[in-house]
Amino acid sequence: MKNIIVCTKIVPKSENIIFDPTTKRLDRSKAENQINETDKNAIETALRLREENGGKVILLSMGPPFFESYLKLGMAMGADDAILLSDRNFGGADTFPTALVLSTAIRKIGDYDLILAGEESSDAGLGQLPGQIAELLDLPQILFASSVNVEEDKVRAKRTIKGGHETVEARMPAVISVEMHANQPRFPDFKRKKTVDTEHHLTVWGSNDLELAEATTGLKGSFTFVRGLVDINPPQRKRIYIRGDSKEVSSKLVELMREK
Amino acid sequence: MTSNDIWVFIERDGDEIEEVSLEILGKASEITRAFGYSLTGVLLGTPNEEVASETIRYGADKVLLIKHEDLNTYSNDLYVKSLFDSINKEMPSAFLIGATPYGRDLAGRLAAKLRTGLTANAITMEMNEKGEVIFGVPAYGGKIVAEIVCEKARPQMSTVRPGTFNKVYDPKRKGKVNTIVPDLTKTQNRVKILERNVSKIKDLSKSERTIVGGNGTGGDITLVKRLAELTNCDIGVTRPLADRGLVPRDLQVGSTGYSLKSKIALILGVSGSEHFTSGIKDCGTVISIDLDEKSEIFNHSDYCIVGDVSEIVPLVIQKLEGER
Ligand SMILES: Cc1cc2nc3c(=O)[nH]c(=O)nc-3n(C[C@H](O)[C@H](O)[C@H](O)COP(=O)(O)OP(=O)(O)OC[C@H]3O[C@@H](n4cnc5c(N)ncnc54)[C@H](O)[C@@H]3O)c2cc1C
Ligand SMILES: Nc1ncnc2c1ncn2[C@@H]1O[C@H](COP(=O)(O)O)[C@@H](O)[C@H]1O
Repeated sequence: MKNIIVCTKIVPKSENIIFDPTTKRLDRSKAENQINETDKNAIETALRLREENGGKVILLSMGPPFFESYLKLGMAMGADDAILLSDRNFGGADTFPTALVLSTAIRKIGDYDLILAGEESSDAGLGQLPGQIAELLDLPQILFASSVNVEEDKVRAKRTIKGGHETVEARMPAVISVEMHANQPRFPDFKRKKTVDTEHHLTVWGSNDLELAEATTGLKGSFTFVRGLVDINPPQRKRIYIRGDSKEVSSKLVELMREK
Repeated sequence: MTSNDIWVFIERDGDEIEEVSLEILGKASEITRAFGYSLTGVLLGTPNEEVASETIRYGADKVLLIKHEDLNTYSNDLYVKSLFDSINKEMPSAFLIGATPYGRDLAGRLAAKLRTGLTANAITMEMNEKGEVIFGVPAYGGKIVAEIVCEKARPQMSTVRPGTFNKVYDPKRKGKVNTIVPDLTKTQNRVKILERNVSKIKDLSKSERTIVGGNGTGGDITLVKRLAELTNCDIGVTRPLADRGLVPRDLQVGSTGYSLKSKIALILGVSGSEHFTSGIKDCGTVISIDLDEKSEIFNHSDYCIVGDVSEIVPLVIQKLEGER
């Protein structure tokens, strides 16, 4: 098998993001980052496919330089290489310019059979990027896959649809988004991490390497803009505590279910 | 030139229209009426005439029927090609799609092909004098809503979260059906469906009484189901249970599942992550059971029962069965 490219995003953990209702700003400074949860499922899928069919697993990410240390964690999981697409001009991108940068880089890497991505990113949570990459590369797409297998030049996947699932098949190369928890991602290997830290040289490509005009990337290349942020005020709940042994509380619960 | 027209993708399963498509028509008809725009329901394939009539009764002024046998089953390649051609020709101001699995599969690629902006999973939708649609989208697991606009490109595209808007129905409404035949001669369906496995599932956003099982049930859904039968409730689950395949994804509550609007919701063994609680904020009374008295779920509950689900639920079942 040829290259398996995994689109990997680094995201802040949402629990640590604080919204200030007066300034209407998000404070991400206290947020720890991590590899987007479902992207780990995509990496795991890629690693298993490589074990069965050979090939090389390459992580591809667009973002600021600090992403490097997280990409190294992904490499410690077992990926063969990682490429970071980083440039001031890439900042503030919505889905389309992100897809443009990633798909241009995918063409530059070349020799691929599969492009994998997570089903959606936990911060923006759009799940639209994989389909956009597929369009820009003119490849078939299979989204929300819960299992992926390769047979000769075809990829077969189970994908979630309304009310159940479908088994579908496409000729490779193809773009596939992997559903969250589709598998149990392996932990980064500690020994491998050490080797990666000392020996791996991260490839970083910017606008010039990808020959992308400034107007097509980042904020300038975006079609959508965030005009405002609104706090969702959770409803005020009564928070009446009911304590006691299981027998007592079960009687109370029966009453409550009957009343309401 | 952009027309003062809003288009809604009418997703259907045979002759049955998806609820979310009707919900979008309901909200969009409010907007188009207020601004003197027209509303078009877009149907693909060769549906029964009644489907077009229903689309109109649910709020559309007219129907665009993109008629071709091959469009009766969803195909990303064929749907993108036919919609792209029609949209490019007529250039509606906005194109709205339900955030179902197929709808989401379609939206990203179509927007990229059209070189236009796409918002995902909108829960609010308003228009201003400039004809800009402002889409409200939950971000960071539903902590905040980001208001998103697409200023320059058209159509303004968004997927819309199921269960968000209300349908309107007028049995007397009439409208025109414009039929076009798409040119699919050069387009190949590259993703072959080998097997489909679906079942009819009640729309969770319509549930009046719901019991939600989380990880704290130990993944044992049988007891939850029995309790639901006895108390006349529907069941829902948190994401980890849906991920394990214990129930179909359509029963998942939360930011990537359904939002509940039930009068009463009983929540069993759920920790109350933001991704989950954004899905219960519109419920009437929320009762939760959790072992951990500091569980975040209790901050989102009216009645907080500190206890063990595996003890309490069987006792409740016993009691109710005894009374039968
Ligand atoms: C992008 C993204 C989208 C997501 N979308 C969703 C979504 O739509 N819906 C969703 O639900 N989640 C979603 N999640 C996952 C979410 O963040 C949480 O991981 C999930 O909701 C936790 O499920 P849980 O509460 O069932 O399990 P846990 O977090 O494991 O909580 C189990 C709870 O049960 C209690 N418990 C354990 N044993 C017992 C017992 N015997 N009796 C009583 N209580 C007990 C524990 O104290 C704990 O509070 C999403 C995550 C991401 C990153
Ligand atoms: N900046 C990025 N760099 C690499 N991959 C990304 C980036 N943004 C999104 N992705 C991939 O696209 C998937 C869907 O993202 P989204 O459309 O933002 O929900 C993610 O799970 C990632 O695999």
